[in-house]
Amino acid sequence: MRKRSFGLFVLLVLIVGDFSYCQTKGLCINEVMTKNASNVIDDYGLHQPWIEIFNTSFSNIDIKSCFLTNNKAVLNPHLAATQRMAMMYMIPKGDVYSNIPPRQFTLFWADAMPKRGNNHLDFSLDSNHSNWIALYDANGVTLIDSVTVPPLKADCSFALRKDGIKSQGWEIKGLKTGTYVTPNTNNVTLDSNVKITKFKEKDPIGISMAITAMSVVFFALILLYSAFKVTGKIGENVLRKNAMKARGITDKEMAKEKLVGHESGEYYAAIAMALHEYQNNIHDVEETLLTIQRTKRNYSPWSSKIYTLRHVPKR
Amino acid sequence: MSDSGFFSFIADNLKDFWLFTGFANATYEHFIMIAVGLIFLYLAIKKDFEPLLLIPIGFGILIGNIPFKADAGLEIGIYEQGSVLNILYQGVREGWYPPLIFLGIGAMTDFSALISNPKLILVGAAAQFGIFGAYIIALLIGFEPNQAAGIAIIGGADGPTAIFLSSKLSPNLLGAIAVSAYSYMACVPLIQPPIMRLFTTKKERLIRMRPARQVSHTEKILFPIIGLLLTCFVVPSGLPLLGMLFFGNLLKESGCTRRLADTAAGPMTDVITILLGMTVGASTQASEFLTASTLGVFFLGFCAFIIATASGVLFVKFFNLFLKTGNKMNPLIGNAGVSAVPMSARISQNLGLEYDPTNYLLMHAMGPNVAGVIGSAVAAGVLLGFLG
Repeated sequence: MRKRSFGLFVLLVLIVGDFSYCQTKGLCINEVMTKNASNVIDDYGLHQPWIEIFNTSFSNIDIKSCFLTNNKAVLNPHLAATQRMAMMYMIPKGDVYSNIPPRQFTLFWADAMPKRGNNHLDFSLDSNHSNWIALYDANGVTLIDSVTVPPLKADCSFALRKDGIKSQGWEIKGLKTGTYVTPNTNNVTLDSNVKITKFKEKDPIGISMAITAMSVVFFALILLYSAFKVTGKIGENVLRKNAMKARGITDKEMAKEKLVGHESGEYYAAIAMALHEYQNNIHDVEETLLTIQRTKRNYSPWSSKIYTLRHVPKR
Repeated sequence: MSDSGFFSFIADNLKDFWLFTGFANATYEHFIMIAVGLIFLYLAIKKDFEPLLLIPIGFGILIGNIPFKADAGLEIGIYEQGSVLNILYQGVREGWYPPLIFLGIGAMTDFSALISNPKLILVGAAAQFGIFGAYIIALLIGFEPNQAAGIAIIGGADGPTAIFLSSKLSPNLLGAIAVSAYSYMACVPLIQPPIMRLFTTKKERLIRMRPARQVSHTEKILFPIIGLLLTCFVVPSGLPLLGMLFFGNLLKESGCTRRLADTAAGPMTDVITILLGMTVGASTQASEFLTASTLGVFFLGFCAFIIATASGVLFVKFFNLFLKTGNKMNPLIGNAGVSAVPMSARISQNLGLEYDPTNYLLMHAMGPNVAGVIGSAVAAGVLLGFLG
């Protein structure tokens, strides 16, 4: 019993641990600026390097207790979790910055001045060299995301081409015209619904949508039709076998001739109705006496208001 | 304080009070909408046109069109954040009433007609042509694809699905779409019979269908499980509606969760129907509702119903070409492919009885009717997947 309880406890811990990791798995490093000369200012009015974290999921993610670092020493697999944690900046609890809404961002200032606020990191970034930046889960072991930022010119940023989509690759923004540094906002500004625009262009009168969608509807319902055709056949066979057994018929041909198991629902409905009437004593003749004699109406509590009033409390 | 000052103070107060009354703020649009609400109530109470839908909606229209000083910040209007009506309207706007209604529909629907004769499922699919026919017309009129999809789903004759999809794709047309969907659902006894007569011959209307076979308990239990897995694997975006529909049905058919099924089919559905109907009605506030696009929505909804009914009937006729004598279907059940459950099935029954007083089509029509519920939810899922 004890062993079983312990096993269940371990399983629960693993599930909870995995679940909390699953939540933070939706985070990614989205954009980084290592040299901020005239770009966005922090809450002290200063231009500082920054790291943007993006919540790729469709629910809130609390980044509290996760770790941010630029120290590659944490990659050493022989380090204990506590040693690794000591080398990283832990994102404090209880701050609005730590709770990131769905598909939204939060910005951390890499100014090595953590006392200026919870979103000020304890390390800074070197604009002349490449910077490795990593985001670790609260256990200090699970790497959520990491990126190596190349040396950047002032006011340029290294950003994912599309928010949160690593497969689309990274680009340096602010270097050429037409690319903008976008702290705390989408890397690509969506000024229209791509799907709707595409449908407007390619399918202006909706024929393609009608054909595609009706095909899907028919496909889904044909699947259902096929499934129930099969289950129906199986069900009919089982019913026939049961009916044959009940009537003591062994010959399949004879059963087919007598339509055993093929009785319609109406047949069973009539039996059920008869049973229902019998069990509930429902009959056509009412036990009521018809008379022309005057009958005295007895007192009925239904017509008396006294019963609906509150009683006077007893002393 | 002098007497004149005192009386002028009272006069000022009364003047202020007057500015807050409905009389001071009424416009002719308010009276139009109040008249619409009264017509709904008349149809429901006197003519028995789906009173369960039209009474909450009709009274909701009255509630939503009481004129008041909109800029006073009284937090009473349905579109004022924090007002009681606004909080109740969340279920419509955020789309969580419809899945709850679907749970109730699942818990009160007997799918055995469909299980015993699975080809009726295809009739339910055919009636969804109404949705996409209306989508094409809406685009031709000039609606955006997302708006066209929200409007077209009215053709599924499924109020909850229409609300669910329009809340996601075209929230600005939600009120008009919801009122239009429910109004036409209540009007199916007027809209469908002429179309059914038009597309069928007297001989076809007399076709007798084979009685449904007995469906075992196991088949009834398997239906919601297989139904959910198959439909939602194809169209996951229909999950909120289909998931709840099949879940409700499993509660009913499992045989061991009777209390839950009774609650889902009874009190819960009643509560949600009251809230849904009333808030949908109240959302027709004249200032938001009386626009040219509302007229467009009503016109398209009407077209969608006609196309859906016609396509259902014509599909049965087409299907009959491939069926042996004795297995043929009565085309009068084709209209039931729209998912107005059980109104459209009842129409098949009544029309069938009109031509042959011993030909009972109700249970046969329930097959395409419930398949229509599934079909319209799948269609909504497809539209949401493409345009959401």
